[in-house]
Amino acid sequence: MSYYDVDAILTDAQKVPCTFELTVPGLGYIEGNMGGDMKQGSKVELPLWLGEMLALSQSLNTSSLVTLDPPAALAPRVLNALKADPRTVDLRALAPHFYNLGARILELFEEEEMIEILSETFKARAAVIADQAHNPRGALGEGADFMRGLEENERQLFRAAHESAKSVRAWMADLKK
Amino acid sequence: MALPLPRGLTPSEVSFLCEMELVTVTPRQRLEGLALLGGPIKPLNPPHRASLPLWLALLLKRQRRANILPPPWLSPHSLTAILDHETEYADAFSPPPRLPPQPSSNTLPFSPPFLLGATADAAPDALPYHWLELGEMLLEAASDDFEDPDNVRKLLRGLREVRMAKLRTNVEKLDAGGGVKMNGIGGLEVGEGRAFVTGVIDGLRKIAASQEQQRKDRDRYEGTGDNYDDDEMEMDT
Repeated sequence: MSYYDVDAILTDAQKVPCTFELTVPGLGYIEGNMGGDMKQGSKVELPLWLGEMLALSQSLNTSSLVTLDPPAALAPRVLNALKADPRTVDLRALAPHFYNLGARILELFEEEEMIEILSETFKARAAVIADQAHNPRGALGEGADFMRGLEENERQLFRAAHESAKSVRAWMADLKK
Repeated sequence: MALPLPRGLTPSEVSFLCEMELVTVTPRQRLEGLALLGGPIKPLNPPHRASLPLWLALLLKRQRRANILPPPWLSPHSLTAILDHETEYADAFSPPPRLPPQPSSNTLPFSPPFLLGATADAAPDALPYHWLELGEMLLEAASDDFEDPDNVRKLLRGLREVRMAKLRTNVEKLDAGGGVKMNGIGGLEVGEGRAFVTGVIDGLRKIAASQEQQRKDRDRYEGTGDNYDDDEMEMDT
């Protein structure tokens, strides 16, 4: 991941639920409580980069400041739906950078099963994407709902597959001139 | 940041490479020998067949100075047989032409791009590396040299569809460290499939990156542990 990678930056900006383990004076504005304190045990949605930093930083002798929970996009309910049928889930509505978010979360939590589910989902959806990329009519017809649910990585994959098929067709049309 | 050029070869680059393949022609006019960078070309005498690079053959064909003999695998009969084989075995491509016996004195490697796959004496039952490009170019420039060009064109389209569909379904068997068996795949197909297949592998590796990192860490940890043991044993002895 490059420093200037827009997708990485946008992934970092996704919100994750965090629970404060300590009372922090004057931080209440994050919750919308102007000028108040951040109470111990309050749950706030923080951007991934901030939540990660606060969760990993350890002050001298206390435990970490906040604890992270997996975001709603990777909740067990979603994972079960993906296990049942990866093709019908609208990943874009869950998170525009679903797989990137998943990869970042997996760096923080150790979940063998989540890796398994995400890989299977990606493969199953990639096969459909390839078919859609080669039959452009499908993208407008019955596949439109699926195409709208593609997240950012999948869109790039679709674009790559579509471009290469298009360039071969263009080359063949060029021969006829 | 990286150049915005796509990885791999574009179709026109692949077809450019394909133009160095030798094809068999029957000249209609005399032509003196040419000294080309790729090697000298013998003088052309009308009734005798000769092997020329595809680009030169196409040029002579366009000037009506030669007829191109399509390779034997580009006949409706062979293509139908190959297409049957492709549809019968859903999990592999039809095998590439068999390699010639390695000449003992010659140590140059014989691999598909450098084999004679398009001359009149090529193997009739297998698709060489540049099958799709060569077939399309010959059908375009020399369709009157084919017995049944429309049928050949239709069969080529069918073959292309079947094989691309195989390449796409193969990704379901991929995993972050795995590969796809692509024996017998052609140059243009590699170019077309590359962006998609590498995209899938990159995505899978990204998802499994944490697992990979863990495994690496564990290996390194165990590796240093072994070294430590070794050191200790040396000290003991």
